[in-house]
Amino acid sequence: MLEIINLKASINKRDILNGLNLKINPGEVHAIMGPNGSGKSTLANILSGKNGYKITGDLKYKGENLKDIPVEQRAQKGIFLAFQYPIEIPGVNTNNFLKTSLNTIRKAKGEKEIDTLAFLKLVKEKAKELGIDEKILSRQLNVGFSGGEKKKNEILQMKILDPNLVILDETDSGLDIDALKTIADGVNSSRSKDKSFLVITHYQRLLDYIKPDFVHVLSSGKIVKSGSRELALELEKKGYKKIN
Amino acid sequence: MIENFKISLKEIDKINLINQEDKNYRIKNLEFFNKKGFPTKKEEDWKFSDLREIFSKNFKKIDINDTYPEENKFRLIKEFDHNYILLINGRLIRSDFKFEDKNKIKITGYKEENFLREKSNNPLICLNNALSNEGYNLVVEKDYKFEKVLVIYNLFNEDLSEKILNNKNKIIVKKNSELHTIEYTINRSKNKFFNNTYENIILYENAKFKNICIQAGRSEGYFHKFLNGSIKSDSKYSSFIFSSGLKFNKQDIKIDLEGKNSDCEIKSALFLNKEDHQEIKTVVNHLVPNCKSFQKIKSVLDSNAKGVYQGKIFVKDIAQKTNAYQLSKALLISENSEFDSKPELEIYADDVKCSHGSTSGNVDENSIHYLMTRGLTKKEATQLLINGFLKEIISDIKSETIKKFVENKLEFQVYGY
Repeated sequence: MLEIINLKASINKRDILNGLNLKINPGEVHAIMGPNGSGKSTLANILSGKNGYKITGDLKYKGENLKDIPVEQRAQKGIFLAFQYPIEIPGVNTNNFLKTSLNTIRKAKGEKEIDTLAFLKLVKEKAKELGIDEKILSRQLNVGFSGGEKKKNEILQMKILDPNLVILDETDSGLDIDALKTIADGVNSSRSKDKSFLVITHYQRLLDYIKPDFVHVLSSGKIVKSGSRELALELEKKGYKKIN
Repeated sequence: MIENFKISLKEIDKINLINQEDKNYRIKNLEFFNKKGFPTKKEEDWKFSDLREIFSKNFKKIDINDTYPEENKFRLIKEFDHNYILLINGRLIRSDFKFEDKNKIKITGYKEENFLREKSNNPLICLNNALSNEGYNLVVEKDYKFEKVLVIYNLFNEDLSEKILNNKNKIIVKKNSELHTIEYTINRSKNKFFNNTYENIILYENAKFKNICIQAGRSEGYFHKFLNGSIKSDSKYSSFIFSSGLKFNKQDIKIDLEGKNSDCEIKSALFLNKEDHQEIKTVVNHLVPNCKSFQKIKSVLDSNAKGVYQGKIFVKDIAQKTNAYQLSKALLISENSEFDSKPELEIYADDVKCSHGSTSGNVDENSIHYLMTRGLTKKEATQLLINGFLKEIISDIKSETIKKFVENKLEFQVYGY
C-alpha cells in the first residue's frame, strides 16, 4: 500500500526527517510513536502533499510515485489524513462541503455522483454510528466545534469518503475517554483487508483501543525501533529516552 | 479627448418645462462642472478612484443620452412575488403595485420641484443637478407596510454607447410605514456608458426601509450614485450592496441620523475581477443621541480588480449614547489586485461606543490545503472559501426566497465568469 524509502525532509533548511523507512501492506495497522519534535506531523504532512518541504527519497503509494501526485489527487486515489488540528472554514456548510468532497472523489473513481437525498441518508447513518449530533453538520465547517467534535468530524469524513490509506495524526490528543472510544470504534469498524492505517500518537493509551499490528518509534527523524504492540507498552513504562 | 471634456450649455435648453430660476441653477452647476471636470485623485474623496484618468483611458467621447426606447422583451423575476417599477435608461416607464393598496403609494416620474436647489462641491453631483430630467418619485403614505417586495428594474438598453445618463430619484417612507426594495440592474448595452444618479431617501418617524442592490450580470457600464439619506426618529434604514460585475461603480452614501433611536445598517459583499473598480464610500452622521449605525463591507478581489472602502462616522457633540461600528474585510486572491480602505471617526460626544476594523489578506493556505486533502482542486477550494467569506453577509437577509435568489447571483459571480 505505502512504501517509504530513505525519506529525508527539511523545511527552511532545518532537517526534520533523516532517512525514514516504512512499509505498510494492505490491511495492516501501523502506529508511529515518538516524542515532540521527532517528525511525526511532518511525516503526516508530507504524505498529504503539503508543500513547503524539501524532500528526497522514495514515496510509493500502490506502486505509484507519490511525489508526482498533487494533493487533491492523493485524496481522490484513497489517501486520507485526519488532521491534528482540523481547520475552521467560516461560511462553508459542513454538509455541503462533505457532499462536494465525496462527489469529487466518486467522480475521480469513475462512479456516479451521489444525490442530496442519498447523501443525507448516508451521512445520518454514519453520524449516528459515531454518536455525532446531526446539528453540527448544518453548521459552518469546524467553526465553533469543540475539540472532540472536530476530531469526530474528521473520523466522520473518513467513514464517508471510504479511503484506502488512513493517516491519523494525533487524533487522540485532547480527547476524553468517551470520545477516544468513539473514535477508536469508528476506526476499528472500518478495518478491512484492503485498508491500511497509520496511527500517529504520543501516547500508548490510544493503542489500547486501536490495536496496531506494528509499532515504530520515531526519533530525530528516523525510525529507531520497530516491533509488535508490546513495544508500545514498553515505551509507556520506560519513556522515549531509554529506547534511544 | 475626455480630459478636456466640456458640456455645452445648450444641453440645458433641451430640458422641457423649467422656469428661469431652475434654468439658472442648472447653468451654475454645469459651469462648475465644466470648470472642475471629472474628479481626480487630488481630491480627497476621490484619492483611490481617479475618475478622470479612468475615463480618459476608456472613453474617447461622451454625449448626453437622449433616447428612452420602449421595451418589449422584458421578463420579470420568477423566483418570488413582487411589485415592480421599470426604469429604462433612468426614465420611469411603468409600475405595477398589484400586491398593495394603491391609495397608499404614489409613484411619478421626475419632477423638478421635488428636489431642493442644493449647492455641492462634488462635480458629479453638479453635473447631475445641471442635467437630470429623468428618474422616479416614490411615496409610501403613513401607516402602511408593503405586503411584497418592490423590485426596481433598472434597465439600460442596447444602443447606449459613450453616453452619460443623469437621473434623480426620491423615496419617501412616511410615519409607521415599511418598504423593502430590490434594485435590480439589467444592462443590455455591450458598450461603455456612464450613469450618474442622485438619490434622496427620507424616512419619517418609525419607518423602515430596506434595499438590496444587485446586478443581473456583468456590465460594461460605469456607475456613480450619490445617496442622500435623512432618517427621523425610531426609523431604520438598511442597505445590502451586491453590485459585483460592473466596470466601474462608486456608491457615495451619506446618511443623516436626525431623530432619536434611528438606525442605519449598510452591508456589502462584492466579488471583483477582470479590472473591475468599485468604491463604496459611506458617511454616517450621528446628529442626535441614542442612534445606531453599522457598516460591514466584505470584498473579494481577483485579477487586476480594485476595491475601495472609505467609511466615515461623524458623532455630533450632543449625540450621546451613540453606538457605531464599522468593519471592512478584503480577501485578495490575485497578486495584481488592490484594496484600499480609509476608516475615519470624528467624535465630539464623550459617552459613545464607536469603533472600526479593517483587514485585508490572502486566502489562507492552510484552509486551501485542508480542502484539497478532501479531493477538491485548488480552484474549487478557493471558490468555496470565497463563497463562504461573502455568504456571511447574505445570511442576514430574512426572506428565504430572496436569500436564495441573491445566493444564486453571488454563486454565479464567483463561479460563473
